[in-house]
Amino acid sequence: MEWFPLWLSVRVALLATGLTMTVGIPVAWWLARRRSTVRQIVAVIVMTPLVLPPTVLGYYLLVLISRYGPVGRVLESLGIELAFTWRAAVLAGAIGSFPLLVRAAQAGFESVDRQLEDAARTLGRYEWSVFWSVSLPLAWRAVAAGSALAFCRAFGDFGITLMVAGNIPGRTQTLPLAIYDHVQSNAMREANVLALVSIGVALTILLGAARFVRFR
Amino acid sequence: MTRNWTIRSRAGRPIVGGLLVLTILAGGAHGQAQSRLTVFAAADLAFAFKGIVPLFERATGASVILSIGSTGVFAQQIAAGAPADVFFAANASFVDDLIARGVVIPATRSLYAQGRIVLATRRDAPFRPTELRQLTDPRVKRIAIANPQHAPYGKAAEQALQASGLWDTLKAKLVYGDNIRHALQFLQTGAAEAGVVALSVANAPEISWTLVDARLHEPLNQVAVVVRRSQHPELGGAFIRFVVGPQGRPIMKRYGFLLPGDF
Repeated sequence: MEWFPLWLSVRVALLATGLTMTVGIPVAWWLARRRSTVRQIVAVIVMTPLVLPPTVLGYYLLVLISRYGPVGRVLESLGIELAFTWRAAVLAGAIGSFPLLVRAAQAGFESVDRQLEDAARTLGRYEWSVFWSVSLPLAWRAVAAGSALAFCRAFGDFGITLMVAGNIPGRTQTLPLAIYDHVQSNAMREANVLALVSIGVALTILLGAARFVRFR
Repeated sequence: MTRNWTIRSRAGRPIVGGLLVLTILAGGAHGQAQSRLTVFAAADLAFAFKGIVPLFERATGASVILSIGSTGVFAQQIAAGAPADVFFAANASFVDDLIARGVVIPATRSLYAQGRIVLATRRDAPFRPTELRQLTDPRVKRIAIANPQHAPYGKAAEQALQASGLWDTLKAKLVYGDNIRHALQFLQTGAAEAGVVALSVANAPEISWTLVDARLHEPLNQVAVVVRRSQHPELGGAFIRFVVGPQGRPIMKRYGFLLPGDF
């Protein structure tokens, strides 16, 4: 029994969640402000990973980050290889989980009493400070719920990862890819064990999060 | 003011702290050994290569990373710079396309096998067709083949059904697997009553099969090639020769491949 895919997946999902949180929380906060056309458009774009087929998403992401793609070429000149490495798996997980985090966090920020934020502004706080000292502390439950969902989504990503990171055992083969491989080669015992582990991890995270956050 | 700070220390810090931990964790996830041979192999080779790879590792001391998947997806990925050393495709056209793009070494292009397709059913099925025309029987509700758009064995299955004049009749019954192993799973799970799949993957205990006349489809010429980016092209070439050599040959034959010299 090869356990590398499990450790890789845990690491990839943690990093992907971190990446999603770093980018997603500010985006969610910005989206939660008063409606505007620009915000509507961005909100729709942010949701696309939920509705596009993962392999399609993965293919275009690969076109972008491969060594012949526009982003990949720049990275390569800097000596960074992204496609077909574990970093690409992190990116894949982050993109897949991004809408889940943003949706949850946005709902959280929207439920924050605007008068409290405005009060902080009248007290001379800058926007950055309002965010850290008022909005985020009041919306943290929703942000945490979104992050838990994001972790589970990143942990379970298959389609995007398969395209951009490949299915390379010992390097980029995450848990879902390993399960697929075992099923493909008729190794059902291994596939079942890994599938159970995968379900266990997801349930633990969601139940753990449910202890202090109510999923809506 | 003070109150704000208290709130921040309760809620803001765990998030900042979490991100820090994540960044630190990032350090561990790397490691690319130089002496490794990464082989991208078409799904029909799944079983045969599980037997051949350990023999090659023992004979050469090299370690092989075997990635099994769809020929079409692998071709896309190699064109995009995937770190494969050798590519075993289930046909020739994807390899020739890669040659045209300049990402593989033309001189290493080798025809390593010819595949066969079979008509397969579950051994315990109440009705087990042994000829393609029996697929029109109403007891056969679903017929599994690999996707003819990008899977060579699916293409061959399509050609065989067309040559038998059955394609239009059976079209509505067909279900497409992503690759040939996937198509076989439809059979194994009982989701499809019959399938036209590769002989090389049909040797499962619960499957019974009958060969489909090879004249009904274009020859399934399978081609391997060494990738230009490879760090050790000689080792890649050695692996291709090993597969068709005295040690690989009997295993390939056991899984129903015809090897160069046999066709």
